[in-house]
Amino acid sequence: MNENLLEIRNVSKAYVGVQALDKVDMTIRKGEIHCLVGENGSGKSTLIKVVAGVVRQDEGEIIINEKLYRYLHAIDSIREGVQIIYQDLSLFPNLTLAENISLNQEIERSRKVINWKDIKEIARHALDEIGEDLDLDERVENISVASKQLVAISRALTQDAKLIIMDEPTSSLTRDEISRLFNVITDLQKRGISTLFVSHKLSEVFEIAERVSILRDGKMVGTFNTEELDNDRLVYLMTGKKVESTIYKFDEKKKKAPLIEVRNLSKSRNFKNISFSVQEGEIVGITGLLGSGRSELALALFGMFPADSGEILLEGKRVSIENTQDAINAGIGYLPEDRLNQGLFIEHSITRNIIVTILEKLLNKFGFISAKKREELVHEWVNRLKVKTPNVESPAQSLSGGNQQRLVLAKWLATNPRVFILDGPTIGVDIASKATIHQIVRGLAENGMGIIIISDEIPEVLQNCNRVLVMAKGKIIHEVKDVTSVTEDEVFSIMSRKEAYEAV
Amino acid sequence: MKLFDAVKTYDYRSLLKHNETFVFFVLLGFSIVVTIINPSFLSIENLFDLAKSSAGMAILAIGVFIVLLSGGIDVSFTAVAISAQYIAVKTLIILGIDNLALAFLISCSVGIALGSINAFLISIFRLPTLITTLGTLSVFHGGLLEFVGSTPFYSGQIPDCFKSFGLAQVFTLVREDGTKFGLSLYVLIILGIVVVTWIILRYTMLGRGIYAIGGNREAAERAGFNITRIQFFIYCYVGFLAGIMAIMHLAMIRYATPTLSIVGTELSVIAAVVLGGARITGGSGSILGTLLGVALIVALQKNLVLMGLSSYWHQFLVGLIIIVGVSITYYQSLRRSQQRVVFTEEL
Repeated sequence: MNENLLEIRNVSKAYVGVQALDKVDMTIRKGEIHCLVGENGSGKSTLIKVVAGVVRQDEGEIIINEKLYRYLHAIDSIREGVQIIYQDLSLFPNLTLAENISLNQEIERSRKVINWKDIKEIARHALDEIGEDLDLDERVENISVASKQLVAISRALTQDAKLIIMDEPTSSLTRDEISRLFNVITDLQKRGISTLFVSHKLSEVFEIAERVSILRDGKMVGTFNTEELDNDRLVYLMTGKKVESTIYKFDEKKKKAPLIEVRNLSKSRNFKNISFSVQEGEIVGITGLLGSGRSELALALFGMFPADSGEILLEGKRVSIENTQDAINAGIGYLPEDRLNQGLFIEHSITRNIIVTILEKLLNKFGFISAKKREELVHEWVNRLKVKTPNVESPAQSLSGGNQQRLVLAKWLATNPRVFILDGPTIGVDIASKATIHQIVRGLAENGMGIIIISDEIPEVLQNCNRVLVMAKGKIIHEVKDVTSVTEDEVFSIMSRKEAYEAV
Repeated sequence: MKLFDAVKTYDYRSLLKHNETFVFFVLLGFSIVVTIINPSFLSIENLFDLAKSSAGMAILAIGVFIVLLSGGIDVSFTAVAISAQYIAVKTLIILGIDNLALAFLISCSVGIALGSINAFLISIFRLPTLITTLGTLSVFHGGLLEFVGSTPFYSGQIPDCFKSFGLAQVFTLVREDGTKFGLSLYVLIILGIVVVTWIILRYTMLGRGIYAIGGNREAAERAGFNITRIQFFIYCYVGFLAGIMAIMHLAMIRYATPTLSIVGTELSVIAAVVLGGARITGGSGSILGTLLGVALIVALQKNLVLMGLSSYWHQFLVGLIIIVGVSITYYQSLRRSQQRVVFTEEL
């Protein structure tokens, strides 16, 4: 069993001026569940692409099934049984499950004519292999992300996969769906199929992996048995620094009238009778599973998805929030979950992204935007939030994930909000940037802002909030008043337990 | 009681989701109204006539449907058709040949050649399809008028083979007064094209590739579809269909003018396809829906005046149909993306 399925030897790859991979060695054994971790930009995706034969390495070689490849072509990689499930899953939303699963195989066999009976049989067989029963005639656009994931895995199986590489497969799955995915991966293992699991969610790494390989700045830090590692060590190996985790303390004595108070806020089919308040200097967490109504609540508070009934009071005054302009005028800022689509004008410059929310403040007496004011403001925010960029005129997409998130923060902070809502503030952000973002948020709260953090990462809310509200099925089912008194597991079981659902 | 349950549990929404059903009922409703005003509307003779006069549009619509399916759009097909028609008839007249097969050969060749220019620009240079075909619409039509000619050919000059083709019938029926009428051969041609297209789309890898690139182009590329080849097929097939339509059109009206006979009807054809339920963003739609869409547009065109409305209403309605059709597609995709986050049952 200890035979190596894949061996990567001394592989280097440089893009214009950047050493993406630097003499990387890695082996994957037959039937092994292997995790590849590393921060954004550490070279994970380049390494996957080299194994897929999509990117050609400058140096080094790859051995698959004891065959040595100096240059691996995509077709060789597929023939040797390497299947990659990209983060976007590469499915056809308009086609049925059956076709999505079977088409690749039919193309590979150079079929010209479609035999629908074959298509269905191949698909049925592949789904049976992972023990799933989905409606083969349903279109992929109508199924959940978790089911799409299973379709992608089944498709890989139709091509005699020996190694399935999954790129960040869990980023849009709920806890239950992740467990289901992990069961499938372990089943595959029993049948001798190896899985390379690329992730940055460390808890998952410990749950599923037998061995972990760590990339940092294009270099292989090493491969470890999972037992040899713990969370702190892994973080250290990935980032090269110690990341301190402390709990946010809110001084109860400072308590004043609430900054924002929400009374019986409801929106049909989304959330019902939500009441809570946030004081100056508080960081309140809202957590819950996907579909618990947490993000919808945030969108309602920010006017993007206005509530049907209920009241919102800001500093004791009732405000009506029907659109985002109302929210901004009332002093509410919002950091969206999907920063690429909702948070940034990704092709525009950093400058433009920062000033877009406050153009009126930059006007000079002729009604034009004052270049001086603009530069001062951009300079201030880039420095305050430590956005790393050589040039504020470069497009936002040139920044790394963590820096992009800081840019979105800058954009909203420039509006001077009294209440700031952050929805999934660290999704897709690497560990070091995560810590910086958390620090910034704490600093804001200490200066008197009221913060609401919405996140499904329980450690994130327990560490950074002084109070946590747990939502399920559109209601607040629990309030954690003292975050030191509960563990992650306890909160998780509260938000996913059956009684919680039956009680509401 | 059981029946009641069955009625209750049947998912009517799934039936309504099918655009074909919806278009069918609109068509039915419209026919009933028109028949009340003019009882001869539902006569066999009138239906045969409608079938013949909508055949040309139906062929063009099938071409447009395939382009939409692949996630593109083509507005140049009318210029392709008129070029194919005029070049074919002019060649036949100059050479003095009276042969329908040659006419089709020339017409379809011109169609495929012009289609391949579109395909070349779109697949090799990856230009946006709307802009490309808007450009070629003008280039093809302008080129025809400048380099091939602009003088019309009248009925007397047009070779006889066109006339007999235009009058050819699958079978004839006799009216009460002894005169004859029949079902045009055009109906068989359209039927043939429908069957061929359906087989290509449903049973060939090429056809599934068209669906695939309309659904997710990048995934299609990763799966190993040859996108360049598929796009060449699509735009050449549109040209080929335009070539066939060109000869049928000429044979029906027996007058060939390169100025403004087919060019200008692009929007009506696209409206018919959109009305038939083809998603403007690609990947979805059906041939049946497309045909129903054409039937509805032609029925509108023919009967507005009958219903006491000016014919300008046609133009007005065509634009409206496109806007409403696109809005429905957009609204549906919005609903779908929202359904992903909200609960399925009521709180």
